[in-house]
Amino acid sequence: MIKFSALDSCKSLAETLGHLVPGGIMFCVTEGDTIVWRFSSDSFHLDSFEVGNHVESNGVMMNAVRNKKTVSQNVPRTVYGQRLIIVAMPIIDDTDNVFGAFSVFLPKLHPVAAAFKDFAPVLAEMFDEGSVIYMTDLTQVVYRQASLKFDISSLPVGHVIQEEDVAARTIKTKKPISEEGGAEIYGFPVLETNYPLFDEDNPDEIVASLGVIIPKKTAAHLRIISGNLEDGLSAISAAIEELAAEATSIHSNEQNLNNNIKEIIGLSEEINKVSVFIKEIADETKMLGLNAAIEAARAGESGRGFGVVAEEIRKLSEQSKSTVPRIQELTDTIKAKVNDAGDMSKSSLHASQEQAAATEQVTASIEEITAMCGELNEMAKTL
Amino acid sequence: MKNIQMVVFAVGKEDYGIDIFCTQEIIRIPKNITRVPNMPSFIEGMLNLRDQVIPVVDLRKRFGLENMETENDSRLLVLNLEGMLLGNIVDDVSEVLSVGEESIESLYVEIAHLGNNCIKGICKVEDRLIMLLDVTKLKNEIFASVS
Repeated sequence: MIKFSALDSCKSLAETLGHLVPGGIMFCVTEGDTIVWRFSSDSFHLDSFEVGNHVESNGVMMNAVRNKKTVSQNVPRTVYGQRLIIVAMPIIDDTDNVFGAFSVFLPKLHPVAAAFKDFAPVLAEMFDEGSVIYMTDLTQVVYRQASLKFDISSLPVGHVIQEEDVAARTIKTKKPISEEGGAEIYGFPVLETNYPLFDEDNPDEIVASLGVIIPKKTAAHLRIISGNLEDGLSAISAAIEELAAEATSIHSNEQNLNNNIKEIIGLSEEINKVSVFIKEIADETKMLGLNAAIEAARAGESGRGFGVVAEEIRKLSEQSKSTVPRIQELTDTIKAKVNDAGDMSKSSLHASQEQAAATEQVTASIEEITAMCGELNEMAKTL
Repeated sequence: MKNIQMVVFAVGKEDYGIDIFCTQEIIRIPKNITRVPNMPSFIEGMLNLRDQVIPVVDLRKRFGLENMETENDSRLLVLNLEGMLLGNIVDDVSEVLSVGEESIESLYVEIAHLGNNCIKGICKVEDRLIMLLDVTKLKNEIFASVS
């Protein structure tokens, strides 16, 4: 209780002390339910408490007046937009009547929030790729600190946190959350960690959250590169598989070609047999012609016409006989050419076999590289 | 001017001609020629030609030419030498030619007597020379040696 006579001393003491309190302080004197005096430090001000205003009848000040004793109350953010501790002391006059109340308003600041400006600038620079450290109350960002290397402009002080934000979820679940993402919110990948901050006196009441966002550009880049590498390698693998399949089909085609060539050689031998047969017939015809000519000569004058026919038959037989070496020449040429073709097809068969072997080696190397690429990808995920 | 018809055949590289009226027929060389002992080497043996036994002469040997393998074109030229049949192995029978008597040149007597030969004359046909055989000489020679 404060004696009315000491009130002026209290006021001047309050004005002096008020400037010294970190975080600010406000003092009020009420007479009845009306504010008659007020002092607030530069860093702390509440519009609701102006001189001349009335205080609520069931508020902390009126409680102190009614009960004639000092009353203190924690006021949640929802009332004045800021957490407060209000301590109200009754003022009594000489006749022991309650004159009014002397109230002290102290903004209640979480120790982390209080220290934010001290630790955040230091901490923010301690990450390799820089970081953004922010603190929210239950609805918006209240402090933020960006490093020199890295900043998120879309997260200013006053930014109202959205339902899907990590901070909002931390506040809702009252549990720390650490997750990668951010590409859809910030446009680039980050690791965001958020811790719930509880009331100093009531460990069940969540009052704020502290978040750290660090960029994951290098890891994400690495992951994209290794992903591209994997895609490229699987395309190469597919192309090589196709090559191998084609080599197999070349192989079987060449074998078919070889078989056909053998058949052609066989066929030209058949032609030779036929031409030998033609030669035999020609020989036989020639003999017939000669014998006929001999008979015709023996027949004398009457056989003359027949002799001419016989001579023509012989000439024809000579002509057919002369085709035989020509046919043989042609079939020999065919055989030679076909043999050449066979040699060439054998050499291309050989080449295709070598190609198949080389392809297998390449495939093995690609598999190795693919496996390494998979490891790289896994590593990038854990960075 | 009289024309002579002759059958032209080859022995070795040379062409020979013989009067067509002396030729009986031309056949393939039979496989069943029977060798006869104690005969001159140019007598190849005896052959049964349609139930008639005839001697077979290898003209290549008779003409003192290299003994060559019987080629595919070799034929047996059967001659009728004044009623006697004689088989002659020749390398090829090529044609029946009709030539004028004037194109036959007789050999000089001196040359004809060298080497006891039975060539009657030489006939020029275009750029070929065909040696015409004397049938009587051939017959006497062969049958003398056979008997």
